[in-house]
Amino acid sequence: MNRFLKITGYTIRDQMRHKSFYVLLGLCLVFVLMIRGCYSGQYVVNGRQLDNITVAWYVSKIVFQVIGSGMFLIVILLSMKIFSRDHEDGSLVLFLSRPVFRQQYILGRIAGTWFLCLVFMFILHAAIFLTVRVKTGVTIPGYLTASLVCSVNLLFVAVSVCFLSLYLPDFISAVFTVGILFVGYISDGGYQILNSEILKTAVPSAAASPPALWRILYPKVYMVQAYADSIISHSGFNKMGPIHPVLNVSFFIILITTLILAVFNKKEI
Amino acid sequence: MLHEYYKSRENKTGASCLNCIEKRLLIMIAIDSVIKKFGTVTAVDNITYRVETGEYFALLGPNGAGKTTVVRMLLGFIRPTSGRITIDGIPVSDPEARKRVGYLAEHHMIPYYLSGFEYLRRHASLIGLAGKDALMEMDRVLEVVSMKGREKEKSAAYSKGMKQRIGLAAALLGQPKVLILDEPVTGLDPIGIRGVRNILENLRDDGVTVLLNSHFLSEVERTCRTLAIMNNGKILVKDSIRSIIEDDQTLEDVFIKYAQKGK
Repeated sequence: MNRFLKITGYTIRDQMRHKSFYVLLGLCLVFVLMIRGCYSGQYVVNGRQLDNITVAWYVSKIVFQVIGSGMFLIVILLSMKIFSRDHEDGSLVLFLSRPVFRQQYILGRIAGTWFLCLVFMFILHAAIFLTVRVKTGVTIPGYLTASLVCSVNLLFVAVSVCFLSLYLPDFISAVFTVGILFVGYISDGGYQILNSEILKTAVPSAAASPPALWRILYPKVYMVQAYADSIISHSGFNKMGPIHPVLNVSFFIILITTLILAVFNKKEI
Repeated sequence: MLHEYYKSRENKTGASCLNCIEKRLLIMIAIDSVIKKFGTVTAVDNITYRVETGEYFALLGPNGAGKTTVVRMLLGFIRPTSGRITIDGIPVSDPEARKRVGYLAEHHMIPYYLSGFEYLRRHASLIGLAGKDALMEMDRVLEVVSMKGREKEKSAAYSKGMKQRIGLAAALLGQPKVLILDEPVTGLDPIGIRGVRNILENLRDDGVTVLLNSHFLSEVERTCRTLAIMNNGKILVKDSIRSIIEDDQTLEDVFIKYAQKGK
C-alpha cells in the first residue's frame, strides 16, 4: 500500500486516540440532540401558526450552517498541533527515518485530519437529516450533498493552519486562521446581504456597488457555505465575481498545499 | 572524487586495481566534500570519508564537533550546504537510500500513545513488511533486545532504557544493511550496555555496516574497528583503532589529544 495512504491511516488513528476528540464529538452530538425539541414546538409568526415541516426546514438550514462553521474550530484544534506534536513525540523521526518522501508525510497527515473531520461533520449533518425525517417524515433533499460540498472548506482550514504553524506558534496560527475566516465572512456575508432580494425590495436605493478585486479573489469560504445552503433550499445562488466559490477555495487549497510542500521540503529536522 | 579516493587506496595498498564498479560495491557510506553551515556557523567543514560495507565505524568528538549534524545529514533530515552523501550508492536526498538503514536517535522517543508493538508495526509497514512476515520479524527483533512480553505496554510506561531498546529493535527491523546509532547506550544500565554490545557483535557476521556516534569510549574500543575523530566540523583523524592508539595510550588519551588539538 502506498506510504501516503498508510500515513493517512495512522493520522486518523492517532487523532482518534486523543480524548479531546471524543469530548468534542460528544459535545456536538449533545448539541444536535438538543435541537430535536425545536421540531415539535408550536411556533406562531405574525399570528399564523407554522407547520412542523416549515419549522423543520428552517431549523435544519440554520443548524447546517452552525455545524459547518463550528467544524472550523474543530479542524483548527486538530490541525494546529500536527507538526509540533510530531516533532515532540518522535513521530516525525519515525516517518522520515524510513523511505518516506516528505510530501507523502505532509499530504498523509493533512488528508488524515481532513478525512476525519469530514466524517465527523457528515455524522452530525446526517444526525440532523435523520432527526427531521423521524420527527416530521420529511426528507430534505441535498442536505447530505451540501455537507460534502462544505468539506472543501474544512480542507482549506486544515491546510491554512498547517501552513501557518510552520512559521508561527500553534495558538497564533490558529488565531490567524480564525482571522482569515472572519474577514471572509464579513466581506462575503455583507455582499450576500446587500444583494439579497429582501433588502433590494425593502430599500431599492441600497444597490450594492461592485466589490473590490481583493474581495473577489479572497478565499470564498462563506460563499461555499452559501452555495451549500442553496443546494438544500434549491434556490438560486448569488456568487461574487466570475469564479465559482468551490473553484476559488480549491485553488487556495492547491496553492497553500504547494507552499507547505515547498517550505517543508527545505525544513531542517 | 570517488576515482581519486580509489586511486589513493590503490597506491596505499599497492594491490592490483579492481574495476571501479567492484570497488564501489565495497563502499556503503560515502561523504564527499560536505560542508554544512547554519547561518554564519560552519557545523561541518569540508569533510570526506568512506565507510566500507561491513565496517564498524565510530564517529567521535567533543560536544559541538558536528557529529550529530553528520548523522542528520546521512538521514536526510538536513541537507548539506555543499557536497554529496550517498548510502549504498544512492544519494541521501532520495528516501530509497533509507530503505535498508536502521536508525536509533540519541534521545529516542516513542509516541506516548503507542505501545512498543504498534511502534514496531509502523516501522515494519513503512519498510514494506506486512502480515506474517512483519509479525515474525518483530518477534525476532523483540527477542534480540530482550523486550519480548513487554511489547504490548504503552510506551508511556516504559523506562528510558526500555524505550532505547525498542528503538534499537525498530532499527534492526528488516535486517538493515546500515545501522546508524547515535549514542545508543545513553540511559542504559550496565546490563543494557552489554546487551547492545552483544547485539552489535552478533551483527558483525551478517555484514551489517555500523556507524556509531558515541561518547562511551570503552564501548567504541570494544565494538568498532575504525574511527574518525571530529572537532570544529573537521575530521582530524580517520583510521583503524589499532593504528591510532599507541602502545602506552588509551582511546581516551587519543580522544583528548585530538579534542584539544582542534581547539
